[in-house]
Amino acid sequence: MSKKNEDIDSEFCHIPMGDGTYRDSDQKDKITRMVILGPGCSISSKELFNFLHLLELPINIRLTCYGANLNGEPDYVMEAVNRVRELDPTHIFIKFRGFPPGDPRRCRAKRGGAREGFHQIEAEYKLLPEVSYALEHPKHVELTQPKKIPVDEFTEIVKEIESKK
Amino acid sequence: MIRIAQLSCGTEYSGVQKEIEKAAETFGAQMVMPDVNLDDIDEAYEKFGLSCASSSLKLMIARAMSLVEGKNEADAVFICTCFRCAEAAIARNEVRRLIQNYTDLPVVTYSFTEKTKASELFIRMEALTTVVSRKSILAREKQEGLTLGIDSGSTTTKVALMENDEIIGTGWVKTGDIIGCANDGIEQALDGTGYKLDDIEAIGTTGYGRITIGKAMGAKLIQEEISVNSKGAVYLANAQKGEATVLDIGGMDNKVITVNNGIPDNFTMGGICAGASGRFLDMTSNRLGVDITELGPLAQQGNYRNAILNSYCIVFGIQDLVTTLAGGASKADAASAACHSVAEQVYEQQLQEIDVREPLIQVGGTSLIAGLVDAVHDILGGIDVIVPEYSQYIGSIGAAMLVSGLKDTDIDDSKRFK
Amino acid sequence: MKVAIFPPNSMILADMIVRSGHEPLVVQNQMKQKVTSPDLDAPPFNMTEDDPISGLKYAAIEVPSGVRGRMSLFGPIIEEAEAAIIMNEAPYGFGCVGCARSSELTVFSLRRKDIPVLELDYPTSRDDTVEMVYKINTFLDNLDNDGEDESND
Repeated sequence: MSKKNEDIDSEFCHIPMGDGTYRDSDQKDKITRMVILGPGCSISSKELFNFLHLLELPINIRLTCYGANLNGEPDYVMEAVNRVRELDPTHIFIKFRGFPPGDPRRCRAKRGGAREGFHQIEAEYKLLPEVSYALEHPKHVELTQPKKIPVDEFTEIVKEIESKK
Repeated sequence: MIRIAQLSCGTEYSGVQKEIEKAAETFGAQMVMPDVNLDDIDEAYEKFGLSCASSSLKLMIARAMSLVEGKNEADAVFICTCFRCAEAAIARNEVRRLIQNYTDLPVVTYSFTEKTKASELFIRMEALTTVVSRKSILAREKQEGLTLGIDSGSTTTKVALMENDEIIGTGWVKTGDIIGCANDGIEQALDGTGYKLDDIEAIGTTGYGRITIGKAMGAKLIQEEISVNSKGAVYLANAQKGEATVLDIGGMDNKVITVNNGIPDNFTMGGICAGASGRFLDMTSNRLGVDITELGPLAQQGNYRNAILNSYCIVFGIQDLVTTLAGGASKADAASAACHSVAEQVYEQQLQEIDVREPLIQVGGTSLIAGLVDAVHDILGGIDVIVPEYSQYIGSIGAAMLVSGLKDTDIDDSKRFK
Repeated sequence: MKVAIFPPNSMILADMIVRSGHEPLVVQNQMKQKVTSPDLDAPPFNMTEDDPISGLKYAAIEVPSGVRGRMSLFGPIIEEAEAAIIMNEAPYGFGCVGCARSSELTVFSLRRKDIPVLELDYPTSRDDTVEMVYKINTFLDNLDNDGEDESND
């Protein structure tokens, strides 16, 4: 783990934050994933947080209102993501994120409005109970669109109904 | 710190967000995004009633509604969308109207391309911050006391002396040495009035040379020409209430300003191609061998359809003129075609970018060329065009009028600029 | 397989692709490249004048800069896509690109490619939502089978 930290230090870059400040960051080679605990999830965000810490992976973990943000080198983040999913596969969802966590360029405090991604989590969250249900009861369905009925058949049916009146 | 609410679509993806923020910061303002939550977005835009397909425009509408409903606060509003997007142009104008109808917030609108730089936004941000920080000054509707206005333009320097809401003296000098011309203009304006420079209670300056002259003369008001000219125009045309458009075809650049209750809310400035400037008419009258004052009446006698002039470029424009005259066109037809050509290009390059509101008040030296005023009227589909008396002195009158509100205050712009 | 999704930032679509063992092509990855680049100083997205210009590859100069800027991000996704899932009529919150014209051009470009495409309408009920998940999973599982079929040929 300490070896990894040294590697990170040697890859410092200097990223402008748009408010006159700069961040020394190694973000170039890091990724961010958001763990979303869907409705009905068997673990709480606190339990998620503890679980992530106990993995002892060299990643940054931030507790959020819907789960946690994970930031770090791809191998470690993906390992954490895969382990977390196993906790409750049909209720835990993972979202990609482009900005590193807490980046002032996308932060509500700095810019006034909430970042666009926040509205999306809010909205997609509402669909998750149905998604979870479908994942719990998997099945394959027909993908081809049903064909339109021939006009003759359509006319026949109309006539049939009319005649019954 | 002045807080300017940004209502926009496409600024980030066009790479111009930083330029907008830079321009605002230059004038001591900060851009803010009004905060709205997801449920408010759909509700707001359904309430507004404009069915935009683009969600960023829905967000723009929701942000506008939150300002109107007082859920978010700001001192001014900057509305901007991508140039050439029809959907956004409709939303931009309707959102502007919404803000103007239901709030007192000053608004400026703009359509940008990826080439838009902070410097192009400076005059807009300056005008916007002026409207916020000098609202009481701009609210003035009449002139009081004895004040003098100087408009140092690119071609001519205009001076107006006003006393108790009347113009009592004017000066008109071709611009050369900035200070020298201003002094000559002042002398002309004072001539016959019985007043001396020392009698004047306050001086206001505008135009390109405003800072140089303003500092030298201790002007209490030094102001960009967008605010001053629009104020002068609605004052002279007696259109201080409601909407209007001010058109100033200048010697070097053209300004189109829309105003709402006397306060400018949008404008375009152009000046890339001299074929659309007053200078082209000046050169045309030279070539035709008539004085510039005779060009207008001459044009009114001609028919522009008999002479083809439509070049964007002043050099090619004059070549066209030579060819046309050689081909047998009359001087009157050529004069008419020159006026028509300038009006057409002002329309194509500028008036199309702006939501023209009636009445159109045409000002500046070129407004005295009757043929040009007729051409503008025709090209805009017969819109009502007003040319007020003293229209050629517009900036100087606006400055004299506005500075009369400062004569008894501590405000002194000549000390503001280093 | 690399599967493009539309809206390109939907959590649910991306998550289901990952679950099925495929790779979702999401716009956040393009965005990450931009925002972690130390050479640029154009917050918030680090997009500059050059991005709408590079978007000329996908849309002509008379197309607004915002569309071209977006296409400079989505274009590479379209090029890489080996399959696509398109959700039509998705509301703002499901993920979006902010601009209807950019959406049209992106969806059109995906349809025009010779790749398997699943088009769905945004669900209007609970049953619809469950059905939508089934369709997506069937489509993704079929992608594996198609791949095997081809390798057998």
